[in-house]
Amino acid sequence: MRPRVAVAAGGAIALVVALGACSKNTGEGTTVDTERQQTGVIATDPKDSQGPAAEVSGAAKGGTFTIIRESPISHLDPQRTYSFAGLMASPLFARYLTTWKDDGKGGLVLVGDLAETPGKNVNNDCKVWEFTVKDGVKFEDGRPITSKEIAYGIARSFDPDLTGGPTYIQEWLADTAQFDTKWDFKKNKTSLPPGLSTPDAKTLRFEFAKPRCDLPFAVSLPTTAPLPADKDTGVDLDKQPFSSGPYKVAKNQVGVQITLERNPNWDPNTDPVRHQYPDQFVWTFGPTADAANNRVIADNGADQSALAFNAVPASLVARVAGDASLKSRSILSPTPSANQLVINNQRVKDLKVRQALNYAIDREGMIKALGGQTVAAPLTTLMPPATIGYKAYEAYPAGANGDVAKAKELLGGQTPELVLGVADNSTEQQQGAQLKANLERAGFKITLRNISDDAKLDEIKKKDNPWDLYIGNWAADWPSGASILPVLYDGRTIKAEGNSNQSYFNDPAINAEMDRILALAPAEQGPEWAKLDERIMKEHAPVVPLYVDVAYNVHGSKAGGIFISSVFGYPSFVNAHVKP
Amino acid sequence: MSLSPVEGVALAEIESDGGVGEPAAKGVVGRSPGQLAWLRLRRDRTAVVSGVLLIFFMVLGLAAPLIEMVYGIGPREQFQNLLDGFGMPLGYAGGVTGDHWFGVEPGLGRDIFIRLIYGLRTSLFIAFAAALITATIGVVLGALAGYLGGWLDVVINWITDLTLAMPFLIIALALTPTITLRFYGERGQVSAAFGVGVLIGVFAIFGWTSTARLVRGQVIALREREFVEAAKASGAGLGHIIFRQLLPNIWAPILVSFSLAVPQFITSEAALSFIGVGLSDETPSFGRMIYRSLDFLQTDPAYVFFPGITIFALVFAFNLFGDALRDALDPKSSR
Repeated sequence: MRPRVAVAAGGAIALVVALGACSKNTGEGTTVDTERQQTGVIATDPKDSQGPAAEVSGAAKGGTFTIIRESPISHLDPQRTYSFAGLMASPLFARYLTTWKDDGKGGLVLVGDLAETPGKNVNNDCKVWEFTVKDGVKFEDGRPITSKEIAYGIARSFDPDLTGGPTYIQEWLADTAQFDTKWDFKKNKTSLPPGLSTPDAKTLRFEFAKPRCDLPFAVSLPTTAPLPADKDTGVDLDKQPFSSGPYKVAKNQVGVQITLERNPNWDPNTDPVRHQYPDQFVWTFGPTADAANNRVIADNGADQSALAFNAVPASLVARVAGDASLKSRSILSPTPSANQLVINNQRVKDLKVRQALNYAIDREGMIKALGGQTVAAPLTTLMPPATIGYKAYEAYPAGANGDVAKAKELLGGQTPELVLGVADNSTEQQQGAQLKANLERAGFKITLRNISDDAKLDEIKKKDNPWDLYIGNWAADWPSGASILPVLYDGRTIKAEGNSNQSYFNDPAINAEMDRILALAPAEQGPEWAKLDERIMKEHAPVVPLYVDVAYNVHGSKAGGIFISSVFGYPSFVNAHVKP
Repeated sequence: MSLSPVEGVALAEIESDGGVGEPAAKGVVGRSPGQLAWLRLRRDRTAVVSGVLLIFFMVLGLAAPLIEMVYGIGPREQFQNLLDGFGMPLGYAGGVTGDHWFGVEPGLGRDIFIRLIYGLRTSLFIAFAAALITATIGVVLGALAGYLGGWLDVVINWITDLTLAMPFLIIALALTPTITLRFYGERGQVSAAFGVGVLIGVFAIFGWTSTARLVRGQVIALREREFVEAAKASGAGLGHIIFRQLLPNIWAPILVSFSLAVPQFITSEAALSFIGVGLSDETPSFGRMIYRSLDFLQTDPAYVFFPGITIFALVFAFNLFGDALRDALDPKSSR
């Protein structure tokens, strides 16, 4: 009997699968418009920094907004927040010195949050900055927020026990990467780090040894969230942060669920970006990306006002994109996370080879291999379009699929043998196969070498790594060229290990130009970085820009006001509301 | 069911045994146990069908380059123009056309049919070689330990326990990069044969323990039986007793474990390839293909279907053939 049953079962499976496979894919309706024009400025008019934030059309008060995510947020303590989920959750219960007014369509304005303006460059040399704290800003217990609490927040970020957060401000104040040895927080709890002072309750003053023109951007990170010294619970602040924003942590089941409730002491008139629409925000952790997205797509009960924080997984993309009824419930937006085929300039010294690689690249094929427009959008510049001052250009017009003829002409009959190092995860293996086939069409000889997935980042950051090509990614902490080009292409920063300059590109003229731009006022830097971007690509071609990551999320039918942050590329909750 | 030919054969045996007085006249010939088994196997329809299927798969795998010549498409050629903006194949059933019989892969756009053929070759070779080696090691060690007992049994058991206790994944992960570095340096092209060799080696080192334990148990149960005593009394050597007396009696469980090991190695090969032990994406591999296709179950079911139905048929044929072989070798064990 057994064989017959098995044959019947096999036949049934075959039939079901075959039926599922038998709808024709014509490729129609699968073009996704991901165009958006990025404009970014720093608010000079103090009115921009005043509240309340403009009402979101169609938004109503009330309801519970749920956010489903696979893994818990690593830190709630603002001074330790650096993960994307943390950075997106934090504005709900923490305010900073400055923040981004983001219209979700690319329009970005840096405004004062707790400060009245995005900082005053006292001597116009970027070495002394002053921030004036707004009137009427309060903590969750009704106490007013003064410059003392903001300074205390920054001071506690020096504590070596409170790791995980960004370290820009600490390093700049201490003028060394070993800031925690230069100034010991635990021994000086009543004083402030060097360079930081509070002349009065309304003023916060930064004094740096070197020009730090990016300070207004750096203080938009949660490091500058205020905290009264008597509410500092050290490492336990992670469980119950002390709120200065529109919501406060009502209940925190660590690793399972966080419930945020309205903070009655938050005054909308002081806040230029945040709203207080839902009664509650609930973060639930656990379901896989597949499960969370399927739940939200099903749109039942509480999931109607839910968002799956994890992007639509590749296995569901075609289904979500193909379903017209899900169109109004999905958000698709390019992010500032840029990916390059990094060329190891220490090994590939011939400019013609680097230029040929740029001509040869098949960006459309690469994007298809990754899963299409919902996963990646082509990039031809060093800085992603979400950067202030960005200018689009193509230094080596390769078309959608690469200009093989031009690449071969540059190579002049040579077949350069290059070693491409790829991590042994499924995505990079695909990319490796794609790049090998693509570049070999253009006359290169590519050897693929696997790098252990968890070691890849450390390995390619070593100066003497053995590979010629590898895939690199950079997502800046704020959309300024200063947080991209000097970090990735300043040759003077190259050290033995731990390099961000993974192309090991070093050119004295470019380095000098970076110094010149860094000394300019922050508002003037934007276009200059864009010019330098084009110059680096045209003159040196140190990498092959590939694509920016695209965020693709779905939410329930009653969830509204969700947009992808132009700064971090993840869903932002400042406008979130539950539709009645 | 009349699928089992056991009754008829049993009759034939009785006849041939009891054929007194009229030798050669009726053409009744004496047959060796091997011939009898072959006869039984040939009369078993399940065995014939599954055996033919297995041979068919093997021929496909061996003839892969020939098929490529006829088919006209190589396993690494990409047809991304046949994919839509999401990297999904255009047209029906994952892009099935006259040129691409089983459609194209989503993403990279490689032809599924030719990759399946090449993958079959890689995976069948790895699985067969690994299963043969593990079975050989397992049988020899198990039989020696079971029959001789004493200190040898203790030592072999101890090695078995040690192998079982060794963290398979960690050792495989730790050793492979070192071995790769030793043979190919930091920048050399790692050949596919090397990956295949590493996989077979890893399976051989870690896969023999269950067979060894099984055989040892069976041999212990048999070693005090009369026929063994008789062989010993007639002065048979160790090799004769183990290979001629004991082993023929325990073929059945060995074959079953062998036929289960082959499909298991095919799937393990996929899993290992994904954590960087063994094959890279360049070498078409059956297991790797199935592993990757599972992500597309909802969106491109055809991609799951073709490799899925092939591995289903392959494993099914293996198990049925293993069953039939056991029946043929050991007619006393009825179903």
